[in-house]
Amino acid sequence: MSRIVSIHSFRGGTGKSNTTANVAAILAAQGRRVGVVDTDILSPGIHVLFGLDQDAVGNSLNTYLWGQCTMPEAAYEVTPPGVGGGGRVWLVPSSVAPQDIARVMHDGYDVGRLGDGFRALVDALDLDVLILDTHPGLNEETLLAIAMSDALAIVLRPDHQDYEGTQVTVTVARKLAVPTMVLVVNKTPAVFDEDEVRERVEKAYECRVATVVPHSDELMALSSAGLFAVGFPDHPVTDRYRALAADLMS
Amino acid sequence: MTDQRTGTVLVVDDDPTNRLLLRRGLEREGLQVETAVDGVEALDRLAAPGIDLVLLDLLMPRLDGHEVLARMRADARLRHVPVIVVSGADDTAEAVRCIELGAEDFLPKPFDPVLLRARIGASLSRKWLRDVEQDYLQQVGLVLRAAGEVEAGTFEPTTLDAVAGRDDALGGLARTFQTMAREVRARERRLEQQVGALRIEIDQARTARQVAEITETDYFADLQRKAASLRGGGHIRTEGP
Ligand SMILES: Nc1ncnc2c1ncn2[C@@H]1O[C@H](COP(=O)(O)OP(=O)(O)O)[C@@H](O)[C@H]1O
Ligand SMILES: [Mg+2]
Repeated sequence: MSRIVSIHSFRGGTGKSNTTANVAAILAAQGRRVGVVDTDILSPGIHVLFGLDQDAVGNSLNTYLWGQCTMPEAAYEVTPPGVGGGGRVWLVPSSVAPQDIARVMHDGYDVGRLGDGFRALVDALDLDVLILDTHPGLNEETLLAIAMSDALAIVLRPDHQDYEGTQVTVTVARKLAVPTMVLVVNKTPAVFDEDEVRERVEKAYECRVATVVPHSDELMALSSAGLFAVGFPDHPVTDRYRALAADLMS
Repeated sequence: MTDQRTGTVLVVDDDPTNRLLLRRGLEREGLQVETAVDGVEALDRLAAPGIDLVLLDLLMPRLDGHEVLARMRADARLRHVPVIVVSGADDTAEAVRCIELGAEDFLPKPFDPVLLRARIGASLSRKWLRDVEQDYLQQVGLVLRAAGEVEAGTFEPTTLDAVAGRDDALGGLARTFQTMAREVRARERRLEQQVGALRIEIDQARTARQVAEITETDYFADLQRKAASLRGGGHIRTEGP
């Protein structure tokens, strides 16, 4: 049985892409076949974390949505070095070319086609899990991603600017009856008490907190140069991602 | 420590030659010297701090040495400034009287420079030790007060800066107090920051409006109906935008 997992946050910059990429790497290291789709078409970025050079990219999620290729044809293998035992990662990137982004904004696309593509990808690559890195907010493609997901992780920072949007997301996701929904508190200042943060957030949203990830300068420094979980397998932040990965698969 | 023999000596004498002689002799010993021509001028000078020892003549116009001694003993701030009486009256009764009035020592004129030097040295050493002790007691007082303030939560670490500069146990105690208080304060600030950041207050009405905007669409209703089969792997064609 394959699973679809969405990583979402109401606002941008909370750490969705980093969470997605690291969870993908951890699941692959455990021997799983993992697909990642960058559905953040308006502000793509996760390809950087996987070290995928966009100049070498022909097909992308954009060309798929425009009917120019199949979704599997837009997938690139980005298995991190050192991952063995059958674990692999494929990424369907979104185009960073300004004219491509402009065309999506101007013309839109058939959202339904997105869902069909996810299925095709799971089947063609025989994926154990497909992780969707979403666009902030709750547009139609994000709602579709959530509706298709077996598990949803909502990322928020312990900061007032994230609280209300998170409530909106949690409420909407409940209406879509996502079987597993967890919160990920990210960029938590080191001086905060982790248990206190977890307790307060769980109480406010009546939703389980899968993990409280500390703010990490090391992660920030590395983020455009590789996968944190691969570079720092013993770091406390990697432990948090590992806990989240286990949670999303159970 | 008892070799502490520097300081400022106030020479009080109405005779200019005596003043000059004493000044020369004392300055040669490495002491600072100030002078006063009578008791009135002496008390004027003593009203300001900085004098460690007084060499006092007895017979002077305006205010004599006995009167100066009496007034110094009556003044809490001057009571502990040592006075050596240097007098032309060489009789025991006079010496006894001066010592009863609070003089630390009595030297008849003409004075023996070696003896004077020794007595001045001894006086200054005693004064210095006393000052050190006074200072210590005062700083112990500061630390004790700080302990009370720490308990009451009103302690301001900088009030112990002077004590914390000492290189003895008292200084160490003061520094510990300061460190403790600073850590407590930093922790309080972190907690305040955390409590502020984690006060999760959500405007329910506004949230409900935002949720309604999203969920009261045909697209959403369609998605809601099909969500279960979508997860089961069903293919659907939802309407595009
Ligand atoms: N736990 C963390 N500690 C410090 N910086 C983080 C953490 N998680 C993410 N970041 C940084 O925050 C920025 C946004 O992260 P990203 O994953 O791109 O967010 P999103 O995909 O939600 O826009 C990046 O610079 C990233 O390095
Ligand atoms: Mg992103």
